[in-house]
Amino acid sequence: MKPLSAPFISTRPALSRRSFLRGAGVLLSLPLLDAMHPVFAGVPKNSASMTPGGKPRRVLAVCNNLGLLPDQFFPKQSGRNYALSPYLEHLREHRNDFTVFSGVSHPDVDGGHPADNCFLTAAPHPGSGGFRNTISLDQYIAERIGHLTRHQSLTLGVNVQQGLRSLSWTGSGVLIPCEEKAADVFRRLFLQGTRAETDAQMRKLELGQSILDAVAGQAKDLQGHVGARDRDRLDQYFTSVRDLEQRMQMSREWERKPKPRVTAPIPLDPASPKAYMDKVKLMYDMARLAFETDSTRLVTLLLDSVNSPAIEFGDVKTSDGYHNLSHHGKSAAKLAQLKTIDEWHMKLLAELFTGLKSIREGDDTLFDRTMILYGSNLGNANTHVTTNLPALFAGGGFKHGQHLAFDTEHNYPLPNLFVSMLQRMGLETDRFASATGTMRGLDLVS
Amino acid sequence: MQSRVNRCLAICALAGMAMTRMEAAPASVESFLQKHCAECHDSETKKGGLNLDALAFNLPNPTNFDRWVSIHDRVSSGEMPPKKKARPEPVEVESFTRELSSRLTEVERARTEREGRATQRRLNRYEYENALRDLLHAPWLQVKDWLPEDGESHRFNKIGDALDVSHVQMARYLGAADYALRQVMAGSVERPATRITRYYARDQRSYTGPMKFTVFNTAPERATFPVLGYKGQPEVRAGNAPISAGKTNAALRELEGVGVVASAYEPIEPKFNQFRAPVAGRYKLRFNAYSVWVGPGQSNKWFIPNLDDVSRGHRDEPVVIYSETPPRLLRWLGKFDITPDPAVYQLDVSLLAGEIIRPDAGRLFRSRPGASRWQNPLAEHDGQPGVVFRWLEVEGPIYDEWPPAGHQSLFGNLPMVNRKETAAVARDAAGTNRFGDRKFTPPPDVEIVSKKPMNDAARLLTGFIQRAYRQPVVEKELKRFLPVIEQALRKGNGFGDAMLAAYTAVLCSPEFVCLEEKPGRLDDDALASRLSFFLWNSAPDEELRALARSGRLHSPDVLRAQTERLLSDSKSRRFVDAFLDYWIDLRRIDATAPDSDLYPDYYLDDLLSESAREETQLFFEELLRCDLPARNVVSSDFAMLNERLAAHYGLPRVNGVALRRVALPKDSPRGGLMTQASVLKVTANGTTTSPVLRGAWIMERILGQKPPPPPPSVPAVEPDIRGAVTIRQQLDKHRTLESCAVCHTKIDPAGFALENFDVMGGWRDRYRAMGDGIPEKGLAKSGQKFAFHLALPVDATGELPDGRRFTNIRELKQLLLADEKQLARNLARQLAVYATGAPVRFSDRAPIEQILERAGSSHYGVRSLVHELVQSELFLMK
Repeated sequence: MKPLSAPFISTRPALSRRSFLRGAGVLLSLPLLDAMHPVFAGVPKNSASMTPGGKPRRVLAVCNNLGLLPDQFFPKQSGRNYALSPYLEHLREHRNDFTVFSGVSHPDVDGGHPADNCFLTAAPHPGSGGFRNTISLDQYIAERIGHLTRHQSLTLGVNVQQGLRSLSWTGSGVLIPCEEKAADVFRRLFLQGTRAETDAQMRKLELGQSILDAVAGQAKDLQGHVGARDRDRLDQYFTSVRDLEQRMQMSREWERKPKPRVTAPIPLDPASPKAYMDKVKLMYDMARLAFETDSTRLVTLLLDSVNSPAIEFGDVKTSDGYHNLSHHGKSAAKLAQLKTIDEWHMKLLAELFTGLKSIREGDDTLFDRTMILYGSNLGNANTHVTTNLPALFAGGGFKHGQHLAFDTEHNYPLPNLFVSMLQRMGLETDRFASATGTMRGLDLVS
Repeated sequence: MQSRVNRCLAICALAGMAMTRMEAAPASVESFLQKHCAECHDSETKKGGLNLDALAFNLPNPTNFDRWVSIHDRVSSGEMPPKKKARPEPVEVESFTRELSSRLTEVERARTEREGRATQRRLNRYEYENALRDLLHAPWLQVKDWLPEDGESHRFNKIGDALDVSHVQMARYLGAADYALRQVMAGSVERPATRITRYYARDQRSYTGPMKFTVFNTAPERATFPVLGYKGQPEVRAGNAPISAGKTNAALRELEGVGVVASAYEPIEPKFNQFRAPVAGRYKLRFNAYSVWVGPGQSNKWFIPNLDDVSRGHRDEPVVIYSETPPRLLRWLGKFDITPDPAVYQLDVSLLAGEIIRPDAGRLFRSRPGASRWQNPLAEHDGQPGVVFRWLEVEGPIYDEWPPAGHQSLFGNLPMVNRKETAAVARDAAGTNRFGDRKFTPPPDVEIVSKKPMNDAARLLTGFIQRAYRQPVVEKELKRFLPVIEQALRKGNGFGDAMLAAYTAVLCSPEFVCLEEKPGRLDDDALASRLSFFLWNSAPDEELRALARSGRLHSPDVLRAQTERLLSDSKSRRFVDAFLDYWIDLRRIDATAPDSDLYPDYYLDDLLSESAREETQLFFEELLRCDLPARNVVSSDFAMLNERLAAHYGLPRVNGVALRRVALPKDSPRGGLMTQASVLKVTANGTTTSPVLRGAWIMERILGQKPPPPPPSVPAVEPDIRGAVTIRQQLDKHRTLESCAVCHTKIDPAGFALENFDVMGGWRDRYRAMGDGIPEKGLAKSGQKFAFHLALPVDATGELPDGRRFTNIRELKQLLLADEKQLARNLARQLAVYATGAPVRFSDRAPIEQILERAGSSHYGVRSLVHELVQSELFLMK
């Protein structure tokens, strides 16, 4: 483990915050706010996602908690010249824009079904007696850059067992409920709230700022009486308070600004959970719209297949509940149906990629600036193992077009991908949960 | 003024020079080095990377300082010059170390006088939680997990330099403080009735649902089953009779129960979820339960229970009670043994609003799919054990007064009115708070009425600040926070919300969050805080504050009496737990789990790991309570055991789930910390053990020696569980190289002796391995057949760096006991770091020796060490 900050590291900010605050408008202040960050861990220093010249970076993480049939999903060869597997054939037109992983998993995340709650947290042993979840990747990022957009993050779900399942977890290990209705998401993104709602939110933020003002005043006063080492500590305190205040100020600005307008109509949510695939597609649409309007940069989507009935899509009507099918016991009839379902997943994913590529943002497409992780907490639903997870990673400005094959006996830690993603977001950290570093073999487009 | 500035500049310049200027070492030091050290440590040979020719004598530089400390220590311990070389005369050594030591001390003392040993620090999250609990009279508050994990330095979460603050931390403080304050507010004007309600197992869907087979539950072992007395109820189970007689036959209803033969399995865990604690507070839980025996299945499937065939239990069954905030946020509440005769078991607990209750019969089977169909390891040919719950009776919430003390501390006796539904502030659309992180707590259900808001505000705020802050409050602080209330009221917030905003500000302010200590001798207020954060992990109580205010606390007798009082209070358990969490990493006990293939007998055994943690806590508490000598850390003639632990250790049977002090047989390898399951678990990784890692751990934590750091270029030994080679053989290749042996002869010995203990602290004579080999016979707790086999034998012999040899852990312990002072010295140092929030530096060695001196008569009793530490200058100075 890395030793924590040594006694002689100065945490003094590079700029005088006060003098700066007087001069600059709030929006302009962002890059500077960034430059003023003290040098403690986990806070963006040269954050690309915060600098105006830098590009906004985004994350969409999708977990299908029944996974995919492994023999149909994983390619047989590794490296750049691998042959597409039957499933990946459906993503042929995007071949060079995604990386497929094999031999990866979350260390010590076992317990079968409950592992979906750990897909983005990698907290060990979700099935154990004293389990407590930890912060999820999206929320970790949201705590740091969430103030840059109107919504810190979106937590979406399809057929989710409400209150029991989610991909998004707060720093205190509390579940953030999934939004199930695309129409509600749309309203939040694009329709103005009532005056009362806005006022209530404004009042809260004002209260918060006034609290922080008082706290900052005390921190400043105390600095007068202490030695150099202690003063550094108090200075860090003061800086933190001011940082938070800045973020609250940003949020207040959002409350005043009108929401973006889009031409798309309010989506119509299917009434039945059987229309699982339609719901998935709608949620992909919502993620795309949210990114396109820069309403948020973080979206998680839990596809709670375990909680889904016999589903229907296109001309297909499956015979058994999705979960039942997944325990196929090698029955040919069940396997055939699962394959049809999985292939449909791949088609929807291909459509999502195409959609994101069709939208330009600056010199890039939205796809180039959006990291999309699609995967599962189960390596093989038939046996409920939580190793050898299917995982596909697309977009976001990485060198894709490869199959990164790791040891299927001794898996490579998937949380390392999270560290790569955090760094791509501009956050300076080399750890997250059980990660040991960044994802080996996954490089940025220079 | 001008001249003052100039002088100041001059001093700074000098100080700056001192950082770079090469000073000559004192002549006596220099001559010793030339005579005894220069041959190997010159610019040509540079043995061990030490080149004395290039080593400056520049003690204000911390790196250089450490270098000289290490030279001092090598010479004073006799390690240098090496045995092969000519020995210096003892007087030479004496004068060399004395001179060097005094220079080192001098430099360090100067810095300490300027800034103190400790850097100013904020509370860690344990302390913050306890401080809120005590301040708000709410021992049930849970806010620790709201805050990010604390930075660690010198192994503890008490060192200012590692306790950073960031805007994330600030946001969490805001959220946590707001949450805590709202939790303690009265929910209604009227005192909530203390009700006694029975929740019948037959009315809980999670109990009765698994009677029917579902996709998660296709096996009788996972199903629940109806029981009446000692009889099954086939017709009820089949759905041909009502699930319960219900109110139509109240007497019968009392006897109806639901049974299980399995322990926790997440998707279908039975729990009393019709009960949800309506408000946070104290409750009494009473469980009516008994153990049963469930008959076998058909002859070739005898291990599959026949759920219709129920009879009296054969033995007691341990049950652990958890509270649960859906989804599965669990808190351990208590445990008891349920007997074959139906009986009622009561627990007095604190619950959070919204929590439900889940019992877990932890000894029972926890089925998991695998290579073949599972088989309950507890099943016998005539059946298998089970437990039956009839009902849970809840009495509560229980209040001593209304409104609760916490509420009164915020709002005095101001009148309240129940808040109208419509007045509730709308939550933001997401239902989440942008800056706290749980859902924004709904506003309290009462509004506080104030006729003279600013008068009341000033009065209440003054009282709150005085209690929250640990030193006298100046008028200025009131002026600082009063505008928060003014502004909040002006913007249309109610009086209650406005007050909470100011209270939140106080709880997020540095005066509350940070410990204020000034260089030099601590004033009595700071001393009260230091003592209280040491032994209660929380802010000082009224008695301590009063003594501090009257300026009497620092008097040695008063201080001793107060130390004794704090230690004797039940809150001292907070110290025991928090100290152990860091000193020996007890908080990491669940960081890894026993491997499901290699250690299937431990895998999923929550009862074992929970007992192991408690064993260590109770053990240390016992040392502290009875002032037992520090050497017990290495070897004791007793252990704190329950049935599970005694079985795990292969000791004579102990009945029941409660831990108690048990005398150990004379030849037992147990006793002391090193051979407790918790320590052996945190020093392993669930799959393999490493003598190097365990050895380094013991060296640092128990023996108080600093293990040399791993060389950067040498990769760690890759664990091999195939069985053809032992870790010792793998290491031997490495240890035979002289360059490696230098360090490994110091690090590995204790690790070798501990090789007889597996990843969970079970005794082993041979290693377990996977792969080719005939698997051991046996069934895992998961019901899967063992797949591991026994491989090469363990060699636990070794040799200490001084050449004394041992053949097993018992002999090693005897060797280590020879220097009981060193064991005490280590404990004193660990306590000093924890208590003072600063590392034990070179110049702190003398005061540590004084502590030992004064505790010597008790053979360094642990309680005596605490007392002497508190009386020492380390504790009394910043």
